[in-house]
Amino acid sequence: MSASNKDMRTPLARVRAHGSAKSGTGDHIRQRMTAIAMVPLFLFFIGFLVSLVGADYETARAWLGNPLVAIAALLLVVAAIMHMRIGMQIVIEDYVTGERLRSLALIGNFFFSYAVGLACIYAVAKIGFGV
Amino acid sequence: MVQFRLPKNSTMSEGKTFKASPDAKNVKRFRVYRWSPDDGKNPTIDTYEVDLDKCGPMVLDALIKIKNEIDQTLTFRRSCREGICGSCAMNIDGANTLACTKGIDEVKGDVKIYPLPHMPVIKDLVPDLTNFYAQHAFIEPWLQTKSPTPEKEWRQSHEDREKLDGLYECILCACCSTSCPSYWWNGDRYLGPAALLQAYRWLIDSRDEATGERLDDLEDPFRLYRCHTIMNCAKTCPKGLNPAKAIAEIKKMMVERQA
Amino acid sequence: MTADYEFHDHTFDVVVVGAGGAGLRATLGCVEKGLRTANITKVFPTRSHTVAAQGGISASLGNMGPDDWRWHMYDTVKGSDWLGDQDAIEYLCRQAPEAVYELEHFGVPFSRTEEGKIYQRPFGGMTTNFGEGIAQRTCAAADRTGHAILHTLYGQSVRHKAEFYIEYFAIDLIMDDEGQCRGVVALDMATGEVHRFRASLVILATGGYGRAYFSATSAHTCTGDGNAMVLRAGLPLQDMEFVQFHPTGIYGAGCLITEGARGEGGYLTNSEGERFMERYAPSAKDLASRDVVSRSMTVEIREGRGVGAEKDHIFLHLDHLDPAILAERLPGISESARIFAGVDVTKEPIPVLPTVHYNMGGIPTNFHGEVLTLKNGNPDTVVPGLMAIGEAACVSVHGANRLGSNSLIDLVVFGRAAGLRAAELVSPGQRQPELAKGAGDNAIARLDKFRNAKGSTPTAELRLKMQRAMQEDVAVFRTGETLVSGQKRIADVVSGIPDIRVTDRSLIWNSDLIETLEFDNLIVQAVATVEGAVNRQESRGAHAREDFPDRDDENWMKHTLCWVDDKGKPAIDYRPVHAYTLSNDIEYIKPKARVY
Repeated sequence: MSASNKDMRTPLARVRAHGSAKSGTGDHIRQRMTAIAMVPLFLFFIGFLVSLVGADYETARAWLGNPLVAIAALLLVVAAIMHMRIGMQIVIEDYVTGERLRSLALIGNFFFSYAVGLACIYAVAKIGFGV
Repeated sequence: MVQFRLPKNSTMSEGKTFKASPDAKNVKRFRVYRWSPDDGKNPTIDTYEVDLDKCGPMVLDALIKIKNEIDQTLTFRRSCREGICGSCAMNIDGANTLACTKGIDEVKGDVKIYPLPHMPVIKDLVPDLTNFYAQHAFIEPWLQTKSPTPEKEWRQSHEDREKLDGLYECILCACCSTSCPSYWWNGDRYLGPAALLQAYRWLIDSRDEATGERLDDLEDPFRLYRCHTIMNCAKTCPKGLNPAKAIAEIKKMMVERQA
Repeated sequence: MTADYEFHDHTFDVVVVGAGGAGLRATLGCVEKGLRTANITKVFPTRSHTVAAQGGISASLGNMGPDDWRWHMYDTVKGSDWLGDQDAIEYLCRQAPEAVYELEHFGVPFSRTEEGKIYQRPFGGMTTNFGEGIAQRTCAAADRTGHAILHTLYGQSVRHKAEFYIEYFAIDLIMDDEGQCRGVVALDMATGEVHRFRASLVILATGGYGRAYFSATSAHTCTGDGNAMVLRAGLPLQDMEFVQFHPTGIYGAGCLITEGARGEGGYLTNSEGERFMERYAPSAKDLASRDVVSRSMTVEIREGRGVGAEKDHIFLHLDHLDPAILAERLPGISESARIFAGVDVTKEPIPVLPTVHYNMGGIPTNFHGEVLTLKNGNPDTVVPGLMAIGEAACVSVHGANRLGSNSLIDLVVFGRAAGLRAAELVSPGQRQPELAKGAGDNAIARLDKFRNAKGSTPTAELRLKMQRAMQEDVAVFRTGETLVSGQKRIADVVSGIPDIRVTDRSLIWNSDLIETLEFDNLIVQAVATVEGAVNRQESRGAHAREDFPDRDDENWMKHTLCWVDDKGKPAIDYRPVHAYTLSNDIEYIKPKARVY
């Protein structure tokens, strides 16, 4: 049909390309699980923040020292960061063109997510347990 | 990042205008994308005034009238003129559809006609669908069985046959895939709604015995999971099918076989 | 040959022209046998007009009650008004069940019975026990059977890695001095380059030429390109006067409403609300064969009992049927009626009119698909290297009138037969002699003539004149007078061709040029059609002469052969109808009065 394409591979070769990555379902499930998890966790977290309006640092710290609150906060961090990483990856893959730029952005996303995630966990731990 | 600067030959300018005869009373203006590979010029939008009193009711009727009586060089695909062959898919009034089933009276104001978006244009309203067809071929659109073939037909229950409704009717017009932003950005790796709808048509066929292999081939962050349920596909499908739902069902199958 | 054009040469064992049901089935058969096969098609395969077939495909599976291929054969012979060749009809009806099962194994999504078998519906002219009861013989995938079959066959072709040349327009056959077909020349529409295909065997599956008429259910691409190539090769076409009018084309738009609508219980009424078919065909009623129903409708309209403001059409009622049945079995035509007639079929009748639908005539072949000609007194002389199948061919299984749902079975049975025959005639990679110098120049000359046509009449104008003439003068009912008028009007169009104008001079996707080549193909077939109709002084099947209202077996139990030369001048001769069957399992069915 078209003779305009300079790529001499067959159309099917281009579609088959490197084959199936045999992945994606994991991220698909994680994205949805974290979304579900974040609904109660966020509600809890907002409630927590509201209840602390006007309270001093020590009160807040004491509350975060409560194991239930600390675990909820850690869960929220994990869920949100995981969700963010996958979401960011999809956005990058959708909109960033050019192989090198795309790879750099994906690497950046990976390190950024882990760095932010670990920083948050460290912060919760430090405030809650006074590490 | 996203390419904001358009390729050199994609900026359009005003083209020729073909006036209707002065005694025509019921005139509609058709603004049609024109581009020919021959002259190296940028695309233009030509304007044709058509007397609707002497024209059939569909946009395709107007295009044929223009080609027959006004401008023989206007180029578009057409065949069955009853919405079953899928040849005359194009972008009319901002949405992908079949020119043969789109009533002129459904469009308010001028009728703007462009080729299917984000496909290479061969000429005027004729896009190059090579990649689209290859993606359809990729999903292996044929019955695959391992059991000995029966003497007569494979049996299929009424209920199982009903599962194919809303899927097998696809006419491969490419309206859905070319309306999908995800397909625009990653059409080289994302199979697109049409091919995935076809894939699901075979996945859900109770006679097919290659469901696992079919799922294996689709399990890929790009081939399948580029669908972000934007739903343009379902909105634009001229046959009223819902590729987005089919894709969601494939994802469900993927999850089911994990858990 | 001008410097503008250069051949791109290819060599194949088999070249199939056309990718509809027959073309795809033949391609598939040849590829399966290891033959290197090219399929040249002017539209992407799933856009071929087979896709528009609705009601179903006939085969005596007996899923809905007792059935027998002999009953199917009897119905087909009676439907053909005894003009069909009974050896070919026997082959068709005997092979039909196997062909349908094969399609099912390919993956066609047939509708199902409660036991999970292929659903079969009643269709016009299909009976049990040699005309006694109504048979349910037409295998259906809702009312999108052609679509389901075509897409499935395309999938199978992909599976078998068939080599397609898509959007290539076949211009002409390459015939050698001995009268053997050696290949075909085609234009790649996307580039304007000319390709010369050398092949041991060329199979034409180019479909009918419905677009010779103004109003047809046929697609715009149904221009009988293969038929015209055969005429230009100096070979005859057969029985071209037999043009089927489908009783139920949507009034105005001409889109098809399947006979399956009546098979599922729909019926026709006139302006008095009368179910008039009861008068014309007391036993089969609305399910009489198509020629009978179309004539009855035309008589009703003529006698002032048409419906609508102009009293010029008929109503088809489905509104008494259960909406659930309509949704399950007739969803496609419900949609068509809504879009093209603005009608909700569950509430209102559909306005319909007999509309040109099918060409019983075409390229004469035997039941293997080999093209025949009359040479040195032998009416069954095989043209070496050339086959024809599907609507392009005249095997002849449909004779003077085709039964509904016998077309799809014709495609797959004879498409398959052509593949089998090809494997007998050609061995893979068989050496082919070099083409003669200048082979294909006829095609280049034809292309060049129209590409540079600088006359003053646009193609569309001439085409419209032809279509009007055919529509008005070679219609459901014909008389000597109208036919002679048609003859003159068509001759007038032929004489206008030297003044034709092609405006688009480009080579890439020059659809102005393609339409002109298609018109040039149509007009010779129009000549053959009107000539055959003038010549045949009897009424048989779809050819209804008011001045000769009876069938005349004594003088006209024969096939018309019509040659048309390059000046558009026709010549007529005949082939006998095969008055024998293929086996001893059934005797020749002798002609008798045809009553439904």
